[in-house]
Amino acid sequence: MNQQEMREKVLMAIQEVPLLSPSATRLLELSSQSDYDIDEVIETVKFDAALTARLLKVVNSVAYGLVHEVTSIERAVTYLGERVVASIALGESAKALFNKELKGYEGPKGELWAHDLRTAIAAREVARFCTTDLSSDLAFTAGILHAVGKAILTEFLEDTSHAMLGDIDSHDATDYLSGERARLGIDHTEAGYELACAWKLPVALQMAIRYHHAPAEAPAEHQALVYAVHLGCILAMMSGSQASDALQYHLDKQYTDYFDLKPEQIAMIVLEMNETFSTLQGALSEFKENSQ
Amino acid sequence: MSNLILGVGEFGASKTPTDTVKTFALGSCVAVILMCPKTRTVGMVHVALPESKINPEKAMTRPGYFADTGIDALLREMTKMGCDPRGKGFIVKLAGGAKIMDPNNTFNIGKRNELAVKKILWKYALGAVAEDLGATYSRTVSVDVSTGKVTLSSPGRGEWNI
Repeated sequence: MNQQEMREKVLMAIQEVPLLSPSATRLLELSSQSDYDIDEVIETVKFDAALTARLLKVVNSVAYGLVHEVTSIERAVTYLGERVVASIALGESAKALFNKELKGYEGPKGELWAHDLRTAIAAREVARFCTTDLSSDLAFTAGILHAVGKAILTEFLEDTSHAMLGDIDSHDATDYLSGERARLGIDHTEAGYELACAWKLPVALQMAIRYHHAPAEAPAEHQALVYAVHLGCILAMMSGSQASDALQYHLDKQYTDYFDLKPEQIAMIVLEMNETFSTLQGALSEFKENSQ
Repeated sequence: MSNLILGVGEFGASKTPTDTVKTFALGSCVAVILMCPKTRTVGMVHVALPESKINPEKAMTRPGYFADTGIDALLREMTKMGCDPRGKGFIVKLAGGAKIMDPNNTFNIGKRNELAVKKILWKYALGAVAEDLGATYSRTVSVDVSTGKVTLSSPGRGEWNI
């Protein structure tokens, strides 16, 4: 099958991905706005009984270590924070996608979600150092979604990892994205962008997915966000990833146009990322086990 | 046979011959592997950052996180198991310290981790007999306690020994 035919197959697979639940779509929309009402988040959750039950399970999980059981959704949302609520809604709505074994990248089940969660936390922390106005909540949400295209491409990349890495090592490919394009006529950032469009996600999130490995190509009004996700993704890979594409991407050093980061601050971000990841991962894995 | 799995910033040791000491997906982190031939004990620490001064409180609760506190903590743990407190006669191996594709090495955490680890080892007059450091790939490390064999693996790159 040639590149064009493979591309068509990938695009058809994207059209077959189920739409997000209305509550997940609305929560992502709300959390991407700089100014929103928490009551609206609570109201959205209340209309989704399954999501309500899951949020209560997460907030009452051992990982959060609360002394008293939380029984109201208002307290659960306040305690978890809107961005975590939106992420749980997304994870629930597209569980099959985010929990998929990344066979095409030789990554185990849960690897995509783990990388996305680390990226989200790091992007949120990086956003705090932005020299322009950038919402850390938006950076978190964009981080959760940024690599969703891999869940699509993985089906088409089985048994290619060794050859892809060989191409990079021998300089026949500049990075993993160019390897994906050479085989499929599309890379995971474009596949993710197409899915984000099909899901009708806010434009800022679409841009973060599309350009997180080429932030300089993003429209100027979204560049700060895209660079935050770019750095978040790189820091997440540096903190450990069990996939063949780990560290096989380039750092765009023009991030300094938006972020004033010193080595000590980068170290602090890494520390925060690992700590928060442990807490959230513990809570979310417990909730996943309970929900099965 | 059981696995002693070490997460980021964790350290541990075993002298049970059927054990494997293991840590997953080292990126810029460095695994310091200490082996005491006398007591046949294998220890490992998964170091994430070079210096504890960025968060001394964290270094108290999780010393393995930092090169300048993690190796000391591992040595104390191994001393409790009958090993020499300064690691005399130990075999040392190192793995990890990877980097992203960046010719300017802007995010050089991996290199800084490597240098910090080696500086602490020098304090104890210890040097690595084998190492697999740097480059742009993640590494999972397993050490067989009975043989001391150190196996590395990386998705798409297979397995190899150091």
